[in-house]
Amino acid sequence: MSTHPELAELAALVPVLGLADASTLAPKSVLEACIFATVLIGFIGIIWKRNLMMKTLAMDVMSTGVIAFYVLVAARPGLFSPILTEGREVAYADPVPQAVILTAIVIGFSVQALMLVGVMKLSRDNPTLDTQEIERSHTP
Amino acid sequence: MTMNTFTIFWIALPLFLGFSSYLFPRSGRILTLGVALTSLVYSLMCLFQEAPTTLQLVDNFGVSLMIDDLSGFFILTNALVTAAVVFYCWQLNKSKFFYTQTVILHGSVNAVFICADLISLYVALEVIGIAAFLLIAYTRSDRSIWVALRYLFVSNTAMLFFLLGAALVYQQSQSFAFTALANAPMDAIALIFVGLLTKGGIFVSGLWLPLTHSESETPVSAMLSGVVVKSGIYPLARFALMFEDIDPIVRFFGVGTALLGVGYAVFEKDTKRMLAFHTVSQLGFVLAAPEVGGFYALTHGLVKSALFLIAGNLPSRNLKELRHQPIPRAVWVALAIASFSISGFPLLSGFGAKVLTMKNLLPWQVIGMNVAALGTAISFAKFIFLPHSSEVQSSVKSGFWGAMTLLLGGLVFANVVYYEAYTLGNIVKPLVTIFLGWLAYWFIFRRVAIKLPRVVEQFDHLIGVMSLMLMFLFGMVLA
Repeated sequence: MSTHPELAELAALVPVLGLADASTLAPKSVLEACIFATVLIGFIGIIWKRNLMMKTLAMDVMSTGVIAFYVLVAARPGLFSPILTEGREVAYADPVPQAVILTAIVIGFSVQALMLVGVMKLSRDNPTLDTQEIERSHTP
Repeated sequence: MTMNTFTIFWIALPLFLGFSSYLFPRSGRILTLGVALTSLVYSLMCLFQEAPTTLQLVDNFGVSLMIDDLSGFFILTNALVTAAVVFYCWQLNKSKFFYTQTVILHGSVNAVFICADLISLYVALEVIGIAAFLLIAYTRSDRSIWVALRYLFVSNTAMLFFLLGAALVYQQSQSFAFTALANAPMDAIALIFVGLLTKGGIFVSGLWLPLTHSESETPVSAMLSGVVVKSGIYPLARFALMFEDIDPIVRFFGVGTALLGVGYAVFEKDTKRMLAFHTVSQLGFVLAAPEVGGFYALTHGLVKSALFLIAGNLPSRNLKELRHQPIPRAVWVALAIASFSISGFPLLSGFGAKVLTMKNLLPWQVIGMNVAALGTAISFAKFIFLPHSSEVQSSVKSGFWGAMTLLLGGLVFANVVYYEAYTLGNIVKPLVTIFLGWLAYWFIFRRVAIKLPRVVEQFDHLIGVMSLMLMFLFGMVLA
């Protein structure tokens, strides 16, 4: 290994990608930081973007971050798919957060779809979809 | 039938009937009424059971339910308000779509009032968000779509914070049950609170509420203000009852929102907006004394939905115009009864609820809540002093009177819950408050024409406030 520094570098990247075993906590916290950054970026996008379509997409980014966080929580005890097999003594991932987040994903995309329909309807009379303009014309 | 079987039957019924009302197009209103009456029976069972029922469905990590008298009061509110809305819409030719959404909204609000784990709560709150969105956008006008979209945006962003908090709770204790909050990290509590405070329309996170509730159709406003916002309040009250550390935070927000809402309400010149701001304020009374919040929520739900139904039938929304245009006397009587109840006048259950809440306050809350009660009396003097005459023909349908009989009758009947309130000392205090409120109205607030800026109600600010609230809550739970 030591003769190939590139390989060693790649090997160092493996834990960062979440492929490490559960005992090494440091790379997981890097992942965690990335996930919270995603949530934050999505949240800032909702405030910053003026276009309603972009706001909706920013919300999707935020919800992707939240979903990723559940996956990370599920991976804490181990990484193997939680399917019990005889004679396979490995660290399984926690199935509960995975099951829970499935529900949240479904809810998330139905809300997203509903919102896009709303945006589509609004775009007929407000082709720019500028939120501040829409707000001005629809606040009594 | 045991309590457990009936619970499962009752919680599944709205979803089942909601969709089957599409198969029987003309039956929407009857099915909705049937669901509301089932909830009424169920809520009475909750209120008269001896010990709280707890249920754990589908193994350890499944859905956990907890039903006690706090749930009972909230479910009763939901049942009566929904029934009144059905009466009101009886002759209005609402489509089956409207009734389907109403039933599903009713069912998911019920689900919030009995659930005892964070994920069931999340699912129920999201379904409420979707059903409420569809009801607000029911008229399909551009404005209604925008208002609905704004609501769904705010509510969904808040729920994402909630979900993040729930994950942190699970990480700590491998459980989503409410009891797991006991050893939850601070940031988890802050995130969950941001979600619930926003959903429940509390304090500055609740400033989305006035526009949403005032621009919706009359029956939808009545549902939203009467019960739907309480789906954010119930879990907060529940947490406050379960954990001593959370109790002061909830009480603090109770006082804060009571003052903020009433501060806006006294200056407001638009009837529906005033009622909506007043909802922000009244939810504070529920949270200010969580142990008796259930009864307050019941009286507020009845009176606020009645007021929204009446306001939708006044000739104008502008209070200045209403002052020069007499309203039908019968409508005025209903308006006055509701306004007296909410101001805490004896003989109506608003009085009992207010006395009970005031008795359960902590010393530091007393001044704030009394100021809020005075503000309520001032705001509702605007309605009580409206001109009225018996010569004006009222154009309201008979369904309106059915709804009023149910809601106002409920207000009189609910007095039995706390009849001990009728002592001389208790009676004098609200009368003095109302008298002072009327004086303040007549000599000061009737003449002032201050229009408070709406800048804080802008969409971007509503989302931005969540981050401020998060900071604030971090500071609060760390302190």
